[in-house]
Amino acid sequence: MPKIDLTMDVNGRKVVKQTEPHKRLLDFLREDLNLTGTKEGCGAGECGTCSVFVDGKLVKSCLMPAAKADGAKIETIEGLARPGSLTPVQQAFHKTGASQCGYCIPGMVMAATSALRENPDAGIEEIKERLGGNICRCTGYTKIFEAVEIARDVIAGRLPETALDEDATGESFIGANVRRLDAPSKVSGRLKYAADMKMVDMLQMQVLRAPMPHARIVSIDTSEAEAMDGVACVITADDVPGTDGFGVFIHDQPIMARGKVRHFGEAVAAVAAEDLVTARRALAKIKVEYEELPGIYAPEDALKPGAPVIHDYAQDNVIKHIPIRKGDIDKGFAEADLILEDEFRTQQVEHAYLEPEAGIAYVDHDDVVTVLSPSQNITHHRHMLAHILDLPINKVRFIMSPVGGGFGGKEDMIYQGMLALAAMKTHRPVQLNFTREESLVASAKRHPSRVKYKMGLKWSGEITAIEFDMLSDGGAYGMSSEGVMRKAAILSCGPYEVHNLKVDTKVVYTNNTPSGAFRTFGGMQAQFATESMMDMAAEALDMDPFELRRINMMRIGSRTHTQQELTTASLDRVLDAAEAASRWEAGAPKVRGPRRGDLGGPDARKPCTLGARIGDAADTETKDERVAS
Amino acid sequence: MNRKMRGRGMASSWYGIARTATIDRAGAWAELDDGGTAKIVTGVTEIGEGILTVLAQVAAEELGVRPEDVTIGDNDTSRSPEAAHAGATRQTYMIGNSVALASRDARAKLFAEIADHWDVPVDSLRAFNGELWAQDTNLRMSMDEAVKTCKGRGVVPVGSASFTAHGTGLDPVDGSGSPWQAYVFGTQIAEVEVDTWTGEVQVLGIWAAHDVGRAINPRGVEGQIEGGVVQGLGQALMEDYQTEKGYTTTHGFAKYILPTSLDIPQINCTIVEDPDPLSPLQAKGIGEPALVPTAPAIMNAIYDAIGVRIKSLPATPEKILDALRNHVPGREQIAQSARQDRAEAHRRGL
Repeated sequence: MPKIDLTMDVNGRKVVKQTEPHKRLLDFLREDLNLTGTKEGCGAGECGTCSVFVDGKLVKSCLMPAAKADGAKIETIEGLARPGSLTPVQQAFHKTGASQCGYCIPGMVMAATSALRENPDAGIEEIKERLGGNICRCTGYTKIFEAVEIARDVIAGRLPETALDEDATGESFIGANVRRLDAPSKVSGRLKYAADMKMVDMLQMQVLRAPMPHARIVSIDTSEAEAMDGVACVITADDVPGTDGFGVFIHDQPIMARGKVRHFGEAVAAVAAEDLVTARRALAKIKVEYEELPGIYAPEDALKPGAPVIHDYAQDNVIKHIPIRKGDIDKGFAEADLILEDEFRTQQVEHAYLEPEAGIAYVDHDDVVTVLSPSQNITHHRHMLAHILDLPINKVRFIMSPVGGGFGGKEDMIYQGMLALAAMKTHRPVQLNFTREESLVASAKRHPSRVKYKMGLKWSGEITAIEFDMLSDGGAYGMSSEGVMRKAAILSCGPYEVHNLKVDTKVVYTNNTPSGAFRTFGGMQAQFATESMMDMAAEALDMDPFELRRINMMRIGSRTHTQQELTTASLDRVLDAAEAASRWEAGAPKVRGPRRGDLGGPDARKPCTLGARIGDAADTETKDERVAS
Repeated sequence: MNRKMRGRGMASSWYGIARTATIDRAGAWAELDDGGTAKIVTGVTEIGEGILTVLAQVAAEELGVRPEDVTIGDNDTSRSPEAAHAGATRQTYMIGNSVALASRDARAKLFAEIADHWDVPVDSLRAFNGELWAQDTNLRMSMDEAVKTCKGRGVVPVGSASFTAHGTGLDPVDGSGSPWQAYVFGTQIAEVEVDTWTGEVQVLGIWAAHDVGRAINPRGVEGQIEGGVVQGLGQALMEDYQTEKGYTTTHGFAKYILPTSLDIPQINCTIVEDPDPLSPLQAKGIGEPALVPTAPAIMNAIYDAIGVRIKSLPATPEKILDALRNHVPGREQIAQSARQDRAEAHRRGL
C-alpha cells in the first residue's frame, strides 16, 4: 500500500510523518504519534471522546481522514497545559470530581475548553449546549457543569484562583471532600487504558463473529487465513486445552462458539496478525459453514412445549427460578379491601461505558499467562481461565487495567480467553480492541423483564398480600442471570413489610444478546413495578404517596421478604429528607400536576430550548408558551 | 389542556450491600513507609466510583498520614491479596473496611515501638495528618521520624487484614435467609414537563435522599447519586437495546440513544447517614442503589402531569403520544384538547 506524507503542527511542534492513507486523524494521533489522550469511544462521531482542535475548531477526530488534516494546526489534550501543570478547566474538573472513570474526560475537557474559548461569558444553558456532542456515562454531567462554570469565572477574574483549590480538611479525612487522587491523570489524558498500551512485538487480534443468532457449525476452515503473510495464528474452540466454559454462576459459555452459535455476534474464530488491517483481511478468508436452527426470540416462547433447546443441559430453557414464600397469600388477599392487578415491562439496556472492551495478553518469563484488561472481576476470571487453559492457578495472572466504565458489563470474561490462547500459541503479546459495534452485539445487557403484579390493601393503606411473578430474558448464555434473579426476588416487593407474599423470578435462555450484570442486578426492574403499583394504590386509596409508604415501610425489627429481621432501617429518615428537600405538596396522586404549588422552584432547571448558543432561547420559549395558551 | 404539562412523582427503594446471599470477603495489606508515607495493597481497582481516593482517605485516617501520602498498589492477582470483584456496591464496604483493619494492624506495630521508645502507654498515642504524639505530654514527632525510629528498632510496620460480611444463602423452597448484613434505603422525587404535542418528557428536577451509612467523601457520594440518576433517566425515557429475531438493530450510538448534557435535570442530593453497626467504618454504599428509584419516580411524575401511566419502559415520545391518544380510558379528552391546540396554532400560521 503506498504511503502518504503528512505535515502538521501538533501541540506547537512540527510533525512530518509518512502514514497509511486509510488512517483517520484519530489513528494518526494515537498510533503514529502516541498521543493516546484522545480516545476512541464509538468511531462514528457520536460520543466526543476523540475531540481535538483542528485550526482552532473543535473536531471529532474519528470523522476526519488524517490526510485531510495535512498542513493543519492540531491541538490535543496533551497540548493544553505544560507537562506537570493543568489549565483552569482541568483544575476545576479535579476540584469538583468531574472525572469518574475518566474515559470521556479528555474529550469533555476539550469541549469545555472550546466552549469557553468561543464565548468566555457563556451561561450555563450555552455551556450545556456546547457540551452536547460529548457523552459521559458515569457522572450524570452535574459536576462537569459545575467545573466549567468555576473555570469560566476564574478565567474571567470573577472568582479568585483559590476557587480551584481543594476544600479544607477538618479534624478527620473521613467525611472530607478529598479531591480524587486519579483525577490529574484523567483530566490531562495521561492515564493509559488497555487500548492505549503498546508492547514490543505486539500482535493485533480481530474476531470473526456469528452472522446469525442460532446455527450449528458444520465446519470451520482456517487454512487460507493462516497462510496469509502477516498472520501469526488463527484460533477456534479446538485450540482450548482444558475444560472450556465460563460464566458468573454457570460455566455455559465457551471461549469461542463450540459446535453451534447461540446469538448474533458471538465469537466464532479469531486472528492474531502483525497489524490490524491484515487481521481484518484474514477474517474474510475464514470459511465457516452453518446450518441455521430455529431460534427463540421472546422469553415466553422459551417456555412453550416443543420450543427449540438452546443448551443441552437445560431442556426446559430455564436458567434459574427463585421462589420466595412468606405467610399465606390466600388469607392476605381475602383480608384485602382493594386488589390491584397489573403488568410491567422493562427493556434491554446497554451499559454504554465509553471505553469499549480492550486487552493485552502475553506469556511472561516464568511461563505465566498474563491478561491485562478492564475486568471487573480478576479473581474469578483467574479461576476460570486456569481451568480453561488447564494450568495451575499461579500460572495465570490477571491485571486490572484502568476501567473506562463498567456498571457490571465488564464482569463477563467474553474476550480474555481468546487473547490468552493467541498469546500461548504465538508467544508474543496480543492486543484486542473492540469497536463500539462489537461491544454492543457481544457484551451482556440489562435483563428485559415482564412482571405480573397483584397487590391487596386495606382501606387503611396496609398491604395485606403481594403476588409477584417476573419473567426475564437471559439471552444466549447464563452469565449473571442466576444472581440477578435472586436479587430481584429478594428486593421484589420493595422496602415494605408484607406479611403474605409469593414471589417468583424466572430467567430463560433465548437467542437474543445475552443479559448479565448491570448496576442494580435486577433491583430496578423489580422495584419499578413495585413503586408504580404503590402510586396506583395511593390514587385508589386517595392517599398521599409518602403516607402510603410510611404506613407499610420496613422499620427496625421488621421482617424482610426473606424473613430476615432488620436491626437497622432508615426509610423513615430518607422519606422525611426527600419530602422536606423537595418541598413536596401532600396529596393523592390524582393527576394534580396542573394544580400543584410546588413546581418550578429554584432547585429545578428550566426546560431546555435549543438555541442558547445563538442567544434567543428565551424568545423561542415565550413564543411556544404564547402558542399553547 | 396546555401544550406543556408539569407534574411530580416519587419513589422509594432499598438495596443490600456487598455480595448477595453468601459470605463476602476481601483482603488488604498495609505498610507505613519511609518519609511518613504509606503503601496499601489490595486486589481491586477503580472503575470510576472513586474507590482509590476513598481507600487513601481511610488509610490516611487510620495510619495518621495524609491521603496524598498513600500509594495504592492494586489490581493484580499475582501481586496483591484477594479483594474479589468491583461490583455489588461492595467496594467501600468490603475493601474500605479491610484497608481500615490492615492499617490498624500496621499502626499497632508502629505504636508499640514508639510507646516503648518514649516510655508511655500505647493507648496514649495518637496520629493524624503526618504527626504522631502522646496525649497529655509534649512528646511529638513527624510520621517520617516515627517510621525511622520504628525501623531503627528492627521493625517494619506492616499489617494485613481480611474483612467478612456474613450473608446466608436462601432456602430453596421458601427463599428464607439473611442475604446481607447491611441495607440502604432511598427516596427520589422527579419533576417533569411533558410536551403533549411531541410526547417529549423533560426531567427538570430530581431530589434524591439516600442513606449511605457514613459518607467517606460526600462529593464522591453525590457523584455516584448523580450518575445513577442519569442512568435511571436514560432507561426511563430513551435507552432501548433492540433486536429483531435475534439481530441487533441498535448497533451504534446513532441508534442507541443516551442522555447528554441537555437532558440533565437539576439533581439535589441529600445524604442520610445511618451508621452500619457491624463494620469498623460504619459506611455502607451507594453505587447501585442511586439508580433504583429514578425510573418509577419519573413514571409517577408523568402520570401526575398528564394522567398517562407508562408501564413499559422506556417512555418514548411515541409511547406517550400513543397513550395520550388511544390507550387510556377517560383520558381521550387530553389528546383531543392537544389536537385542538395544535389546530388552533396551525390556523394562526405558526
